[in-house]
Amino acid sequence: MEEKKVLIVGGGLEGVGAALEKAEEGAKVTIVEKFPTLGAERIPRDRLIKPDDAFINPDLDKVRNDDNVSILTYSDIKKINKDNGKVQAHILKRSLRVDNSKCNDCKACIKVCPVNMFDDFDEGFSFRTAVDYFNPATGEYNIFKEDMPVCQRTCPVNLDIRTYAGQIADGKYLESLATIRDRLPLPGSIGRVCPHPCETACNRQYLDEPISICFLKRFVADVELEKEIEPVYETPEKKFSEKIAIIGAGPSGLTCAYDLARLGYEDITIYEALPVPGGYLWVGIPEYRLPKKLLQREVDLIANMGIDIQYNKRVGKDISFDDLRKDNDAVFIGAGCHRGLKLRVPGEDEYEGKGIVDCVTFLRDQALGNPIEVKGKLIVIGGGNAAIDSARVGWRMGFDEVYILYRRTKKEMPANPWEIDAAEHEGVIMQYLAAPIEILGKDGKVAGMKCIKMELGEPDASGRRRPVPIEGSEYVIDAETIVPAISQGADLEFLGEDHGFEINRWNTFDIDEETGATNVPGMFAGGDVVTGPNIAIQAVAAGKKAASGIHEYLRNK
Amino acid sequence: MCTGRVDPALVAEAFKKGLDGLLVVGCYFGDCHYITGNHQAKAKLDMTRRLFKHIGMNEERLAFRQCSSGEASVFVKVVSEFDEKIRSLGPLGGDSDPVKAPEIFEKIEAAQAVLASEKIRWVIGKRTPFLESGNMYGEIFTEHEFNRAIDMIIVEEMEVQEILAGLKAGSRSIKDLSNDLSIPSERVFRYVTALKRKGMVALDKVAGRSPIFQLVRQEV
Amino acid sequence: MNYEKEKRYIIPFDDVPSPRAEMPEITVDERRGNFVEVETGFPEDMAQTEAKRCLSCRRCLGCALCWAECKPEAINFDIPDEDLDLEFDEVVITRGQENTFQAFNTDLGYGSYADVITDLQFERMLSPTGPTDGIVVSPLDGEVPARLAIVQGNADGDEEHLLSSLVLGVNEAIIALDRTEGLEVSLISPVCQSFKDQFLADAQKVAGLNIIEGAPETAEKKKDGDSLTLTFSENGNSREENFDMVVALTKPEVSSEIKSLSRKLEQDII
Repeated sequence: MEEKKVLIVGGGLEGVGAALEKAEEGAKVTIVEKFPTLGAERIPRDRLIKPDDAFINPDLDKVRNDDNVSILTYSDIKKINKDNGKVQAHILKRSLRVDNSKCNDCKACIKVCPVNMFDDFDEGFSFRTAVDYFNPATGEYNIFKEDMPVCQRTCPVNLDIRTYAGQIADGKYLESLATIRDRLPLPGSIGRVCPHPCETACNRQYLDEPISICFLKRFVADVELEKEIEPVYETPEKKFSEKIAIIGAGPSGLTCAYDLARLGYEDITIYEALPVPGGYLWVGIPEYRLPKKLLQREVDLIANMGIDIQYNKRVGKDISFDDLRKDNDAVFIGAGCHRGLKLRVPGEDEYEGKGIVDCVTFLRDQALGNPIEVKGKLIVIGGGNAAIDSARVGWRMGFDEVYILYRRTKKEMPANPWEIDAAEHEGVIMQYLAAPIEILGKDGKVAGMKCIKMELGEPDASGRRRPVPIEGSEYVIDAETIVPAISQGADLEFLGEDHGFEINRWNTFDIDEETGATNVPGMFAGGDVVTGPNIAIQAVAAGKKAASGIHEYLRNK
Repeated sequence: MCTGRVDPALVAEAFKKGLDGLLVVGCYFGDCHYITGNHQAKAKLDMTRRLFKHIGMNEERLAFRQCSSGEASVFVKVVSEFDEKIRSLGPLGGDSDPVKAPEIFEKIEAAQAVLASEKIRWVIGKRTPFLESGNMYGEIFTEHEFNRAIDMIIVEEMEVQEILAGLKAGSRSIKDLSNDLSIPSERVFRYVTALKRKGMVALDKVAGRSPIFQLVRQEV
Repeated sequence: MNYEKEKRYIIPFDDVPSPRAEMPEITVDERRGNFVEVETGFPEDMAQTEAKRCLSCRRCLGCALCWAECKPEAINFDIPDEDLDLEFDEVVITRGQENTFQAFNTDLGYGSYADVITDLQFERMLSPTGPTDGIVVSPLDGEVPARLAIVQGNADGDEEHLLSSLVLGVNEAIIALDRTEGLEVSLISPVCQSFKDQFLADAQKVAGLNIIEGAPETAEKKKDGDSLTLTFSENGNSREENFDMVVALTKPEVSSEIKSLSRKLEQDII
């Protein structure tokens, strides 16, 4: 019989103990530990000790000399799957960059290394240098090199922020913009709308405040505009002839096209249902946050790479999905989430289109210049960015009073805090801890809304405190227009019946996270149509992943 | 002598001996007989100026100017301007320097140790490759980042050299070192434990409530 | 891969411009009735100053000075990372070496005062291979403390947590008292019943250890240079006492990577 193979995750005291136990039983054991060496001695937590037998030591010598145990330190499990009782693991073992068999522990390297950092083995007590030993008991040296700085690691597209910020500091603005464009084709747009998770991660916050990474990106994009420089996005000489269709000219579709064109694909067509590009960036983000002219310019730069953007071509109506599938070697679906979800309260269906309009439609109509009746009061329901955008748009259009109704408090609101502040600043009236219970009408039109006050109860699964209605606290607000901005969903009707895609219970695609591939060969998806409503830079990242996935698929076909 | 050979440690030595100003005049960029000598000089002297500023000396006291051997009048102008500048600054450690004499001379002594140590000399020598072809991993630095790296070494090495100088004068506790050097005690604690890890400092004894640390002689 | 998990070490540069740049905006009056862009963008000088605030975080500069100094030529930047595809019959998931813990639910000054440390840090300090060779010293001034408080962080936690962290606290106190002359240790915890039943009699025999049934409220310094003033409840009354050093008992947590691995394989962590 073949030996049993056991994977031990974690090289601490427990891991080493478990490994020795399994090896004793005759199994082949592999220990995978994230840190560069195995674990430290520990003080027991289950019994009182005598001062002289204070610590329990993991038996490091025994485990290192055991032929049945292989030790993978400084390693990450990148991918793991359980299948038919077997576990397949993809493990990345990082290089220590020190050949410890040659090292004589003379400490010459640590005496000269210029980089001090907190020592994790000693729980941040003292310093280690970039080249140093980790566990003094094993004495193994390693060079600690970060794959990327924390901002770059946090950014969904891994923008090289350190370099582009440094180039701005050096006064090299156009070089900085080129650095950004290497991974992001929409610097001006994303530099305006991104909620910048990178800044939340920025190490500078431990000193004072994070640096303004996002607006720096916008700054260099604006410099190019001001100087009236028209850049050309280069494509390589070597071309590939496969036909690729992209559904949706939003951030994910545009980025996917951009990356594919830069790989050398020359037959790329984007099918866009709307008369305008940008997807939600055009019809969801209002002009005062992202001027259309600027977005159009960035789209034009991408289109100039030889990408055909066909407007007013709604897949499923103007062109069938099956035809696209037949006529193309690969298809990327980046259709977004353009269906506003319903409140599900009485009166909603009755007055649909007669004063009730969901936020997606409301923002789209405004962006496209479709008529909207501006009269009296406007109530927006919800706490996300779409709610704030709808309210601020309504305020600009000239509604007498604009309300936002949210069932929790300001603290729990998912919208960006600076957007909430701006809305309040502009005079939008916030009603926290309130929820709609009925839409009221008069003469076949919306006349107001019955609401109920809420209080916060116990935390729910998401950790946020669940709002509970306060009995008898109902009240009425008069209003002519009501905009539900609860959430958005994907509209997958264009796929037709018997499409064969795996669609999950959130009505979005299930994809391979690395490549963006769906379960149907040659069909890829990304952006909101996979994640549900999400931030633009996440869609850009999905477009990038799908582009490399498509490239890999077509080259290995 | 080529300005590229001006050793920053000697510059500090000169100021330690009471010099009030030092002007280094080199060739124009592009005219260097050794191709990059004047670039190296500028990098080294810029770094030295950053260090001088950090220790509380008016960094104008050290200047790098360029002039060719045929430009007598330019040379005269450069020298007279610098002369005038130094006269206006007055003696080192006076009104124009944030840190006054005699304290400034202790700082300059520590600065000299920093400038003589391998760390800063090695890294400043890497300026051109870091900015143009990249480091060991092929990553290219921006000038801003390179300056940050130099600043990092300056700030930390100054404190470390001051601590080492303090211990050289006699074994003492972290608390006393902190009082003598006016460095926050928690930073002294970190540096001393780091130096202990490197085998450069060791615990001598515990006197009352104070662990006393001593220097470990280094083999050369 | 990132360690320095708690808080990154940042060099106190002296020429860094501090406050974050505020984005200039048009006034509210200028916004009504139109869709003009609200944020007007950074002017050049502002962008420059802001970019110069970047710390250019990088661990290992790649300068190769260590390589130049290494006589046995052990340092080799060209050793590559390895990608391994392996198959196993069984997986055992343990917590690993990373000691993650939950944030404290009371303000014990951890992170603000150098003389407030965690039990995990104290464990390293007491270890013979630790940063101080096993001597108990305050990381604030390097002096041996005379009065030490070990307090229960997350004192409202479940019994299992309270029990195991208390045992650790008592054990650390036993080692510290053995090593340090004239040390007094106060252990403040809502000593739960099972601890009393199993260990209290033994713990009370430890000379110099004072177990207080209560919960810590705050640790603060009245002014710079003062020792720590610990406010805690004892039998429902609030009390204040001064200490040279405070050790906060942590509530262990499993790192998010290990958690998601355990979820994915539907397997418990041992």
